[in-house]
Parts: sequence; C-alpha cells; structure tokens
Amino acid sequence: MSEKEFITLRDRRERPTKPIGPGDGGDDDGPKRPDVNKPDTRELLRRMRRVDKDQSRRYRQRTGE
Amino acid sequence: MRRLFGIETEYGITLEGEDNIDPVQQSMDLIKSYRREDFRPMWDYSGEDPFRDERGFRAERLQEHPDEKKYQEQDRSRNIPFVEVKSDLILVNGARLYNDHAHPEYSTPECQSLFQLIAHDKAGERILHQCALRQSEKLGKPVLLYKNNTDFHGHSYGCHDNYLMRRDIPFDELKDGIMPFFVTRQIFAGSGKVGIETESGMSTAGFFQLAQRSDFFRVEVSVDTMHNRPIVNTRDEPHADGGKYRRLHGIAGDANMSEYATALKIGTTALVIDLIEQKRISGNFAIRDPVGTIKEISRNQTYEWLFKLKDGRSISAIELQRAYLALAEKHLAGRDSETDWVLLEWESVLDGLEEDPMNLSDRLDWVAKKWMLETFISEEGVSWDDAWLQSLDLEYHNIDLEVGLYYGLEAQGLMRRVVTDEQIEAAIHHPPPDTRAYFRGKSLDRFRADVKSVQWDSITFNVKGKPVAVSMNQLANPELAETYNRILDESSTVEALVRNLGLK
Repeated sequence: MSEKEFITLRDRRERPTKPIGPGDGGDDDGPKRPDVNKPDTRELLRRMRRVDKDQSRRYRQRTGE
Repeated sequence: MRRLFGIETEYGITLEGEDNIDPVQQSMDLIKSYRREDFRPMWDYSGEDPFRDERGFRAERLQEHPDEKKYQEQDRSRNIPFVEVKSDLILVNGARLYNDHAHPEYSTPECQSLFQLIAHDKAGERILHQCALRQSEKLGKPVLLYKNNTDFHGHSYGCHDNYLMRRDIPFDELKDGIMPFFVTRQIFAGSGKVGIETESGMSTAGFFQLAQRSDFFRVEVSVDTMHNRPIVNTRDEPHADGGKYRRLHGIAGDANMSEYATALKIGTTALVIDLIEQKRISGNFAIRDPVGTIKEISRNQTYEWLFKLKDGRSISAIELQRAYLALAEKHLAGRDSETDWVLLEWESVLDGLEEDPMNLSDRLDWVAKKWMLETFISEEGVSWDDAWLQSLDLEYHNIDLEVGLYYGLEAQGLMRRVVTDEQIEAAIHHPPPDTRAYFRGKSLDRFRADVKSVQWDSITFNVKGKPVAVSMNQLANPELAETYNRILDESSTVEALVRNLGLK
C-alpha cells in the first residue's frame, strides 16, 4: 500500500440518505431529494435499544496502564 | 510523515451477561486463540525496563491501584509461568499481540505514514474481534471487547501513542513543549464519557465530558502508568539506539473509534514533536495548573474551555491549539502531503469547535457519542442520569461491527473515514513496507521455524543450531530499514539472510 493510495482515498465520505419508504416519492409528488440534514436513525436506534441497561453496572475491569 | 510512530491499545474484555470474570485468564485464552497451533513464546523481554526514567534514574517501585492487592493472591495462585501469562505473539504484519496485565493489548507495527498507522490500528480491532469470535464459539457465549479506557468504576486502561524522537532534546524541553498540547488536545481527540470518576469509583453520574481518561491524571510528570498517572510519562524505553533516540510514551489520550480523530490526534502530536525538535515552542504556553486544567476542560459544559497560563493570562483551549497550529503552518507546511492534510484538518476542526462543536459529529468521537446519546434521549424520553446511557457509552466502543454503536454510525455513513476496508484488510496481513516492522513481520512470515526470539529492535535466528541476533536499533533510519528489508526479500534462506547482512 503506498502513501499515495491512502491519501487519494482519505476523503471518502458517505453522506446519510433517507431510504424511500411509504409516502416518499410516487406519481403525485415526484421524487424527493434525500434529507441529508436528518439522517435515518432507525437502524442505529434499533442497535441502541438492544443494549442491556445494566451492561455498564456489570462491567468490571482491573486497572491497566 | 518521516517519523516512526505507533499505537498500543489495551482492550476491555468481558463475557456477555457475566458479572464476575477472570480477565487475566480470558485475555490469555483470547490471544492464544489467534494461532491454532501450540503457543511458542518468542518475545524477548530483556529490552524492557518500565522503571527506567527519562530524567536519568531508575524508579525503586511503580505505584499500583489499591484494588490490585486483592488480585495479587489470585495471580500467584495461578502458578502459570510469566511467559504463559503474557502470551506474547508477534504477527506477520509486524504487530505485537499480548496480555498486558489483565487486558488484551494490540501494539501496531511501527509506521511512518499516518494513514498506514490508522489502517493498522483498525487492523488490530479486526484481529481481536476474530479472536473473540473463536473464543465465543468455544465458550458458548459471546466474548465482548471494548476499545475504551474505563470500566466506569474507577479502573482505567490505556491507549498510548508513541513517537520516536531525538535524544539530544533535553527531557525538560520535551515536557514543557508537549504538556500544554496534551492538556488541550482532548477537545478534538477525546472519546467522550458519561459520568465523572475517581479511582475509588463513579462519583457523578448523568454528566457528559469530553474524555475518558482525564479523570485519572493526578500528577504532571512521572514514570507511573497504573496509579497516580502523569500527564507526561517518563518511561525511558526507546526500543532503538538510546544514544540517538528517545520514545515519547504518550499516555494522556483516549482510545478513538473514529479513524479521523485518531489521525488528527497522532498527526498533530507528531507535528508538535517536530516543533519541539526544531526548538520553535516558547515557555509562553505553560499552563498554571495542568492537572486541574485537564479535568476542567474535559468537564466544561460551555465549550469555551478557558484556563490560566503560568504568566497569568487567560486563554482558551482553542486559542492554545491555534498557537501550536500557527507554528506548525509556519515551519512545516508543504513538507509532505500528510503534513498538509493534518494542517488543513486541524484548522478546520478548530474552526468547527469554535462555531458549533455539534457540527463535527461525523469526525470527533466525543461529539458523535453526544449526538447519539441525545438522539436516544429524545426518542426514549430518558434523562441524562439514566444508567442506560452509560451502557450505551460502553457499547459505542464495542468492536463488533454488527452490534457496536460506533459501527452503527459508520454503517449509516455518519462517520467520516480516512482509510478503506480494503486497506484495513491489507494491514491485517502485511507490515508497513518502509519501516523495520517489515523486517520483523516478513521474517516471521517466511522463517518462523528459524526465529528464536523477537523484541522491538532485534530478532534472533537459529542458524545451524547457533543463535544469530540481527539488531534493528539503527533501523529508525529509513534508508537503512529499506536496505535491510531489501536484503530480506532477496534472501531465500535464513543462512543467506545473515550472510547477506554481513553477520556470518
């Protein structure tokens, strides 16, 4: 891997887009631009809701460096 | 960037649903699962001496967290040899994977390209996750690994950034130049934390601060790393020619999930070391109370981050960072493409922090985490002191791509990346091509059966029944590293290698 390859690809940035669902698009109102200011958080919230509320209470480590 | 640097990360480890695990045993088993054949100890510990101090003496003892006393009897009762407990592995990509006390630790190979280092840091996550999957299958329950720095009960573990630098820079100059930078870089390098801790436990829940580690710094300078931690650590282990080099062992930083934040943390620190070596930094940056200030900045809720300098002036963390940036722009701009990337992004992030930090949620961990938690609060109607938020904080650092919350953000394109998955995959299998890590990794890849022992700056081969050591302590010199690496590529056997190196 060359430094150049890393640099060339460094700015790859994926903007959030809103998937088309019921009520979006269709013949009546034409295609809509994805709402980049309000990212779709449904999948993220699904992950968050699955987190055990007590996980940090149970989590114990020995001190490290 | 023409400087050798690397990152060592201690991971938190637990089993899903378990309250009480033995982290030493779990770490050992996890690391050994990397290789399916029997473990053969190869790491040579003779080059390590954590008691040796940059200030020219050897400490009599290192301080320990008070809780460690209760674990020492358990450690003694294991009756397992030291090398088995450490379980040191040297990987074909030049990295070191081992049990550091009670944590799986991945030390990246030495890199001199910033973006290669980011790829190797991420490769460490992927490697450890693969180990976790194997152990999960074996144990019948998920092994969870966290790239964070606290258990929220007063126990911290580190992510250390390391930089090889000139030995002829007096340590006090290094300390004076780097201290204000370390105290303030958390405004872009912090990973965010729910709560305030002391070493005796959580003192304040329901509070969001910038950094995971800032609660744990108790002194300005010392050789300790596990208790009463210093902002500037004085461990003197150069892992190279000690007459020419010292290694800045940076312990005042968080483990970052964001590739961008890691790159900015390492890149800016490397530039500040350049400025120190060029004697560009004056004493005007000295902070009146660095230990108090590092905590105040992390906990400040106005994001103005104001504090006092030794000369009585009031200054903000952004202003101080801008002063470092101005020197770097003046003296280092145009040197190479990575330096220019760091300068550009450093300025952009400081501008963003001044304008509205929340606009940086696609780059900085603490902002991304805060945005994520605020989204959750808004959706679920919970409050900041709900214990669930601290669990979400922890799960932000879960390195499992399928369930980790940072990776939930990344999967939705909400985090800016600086390397590709293909580059990370390549870093799992290949060392950086332009440093001594190549010689280490490729030697193991090609001649593993003939390797007797390894340490950071040497490798010993068995050559016809006799040990032959190849010193790599001069290989911080890139031209010399290139020569050694080329000779290795051209040698078909260990005998040919040592002959071509002029060792036999």
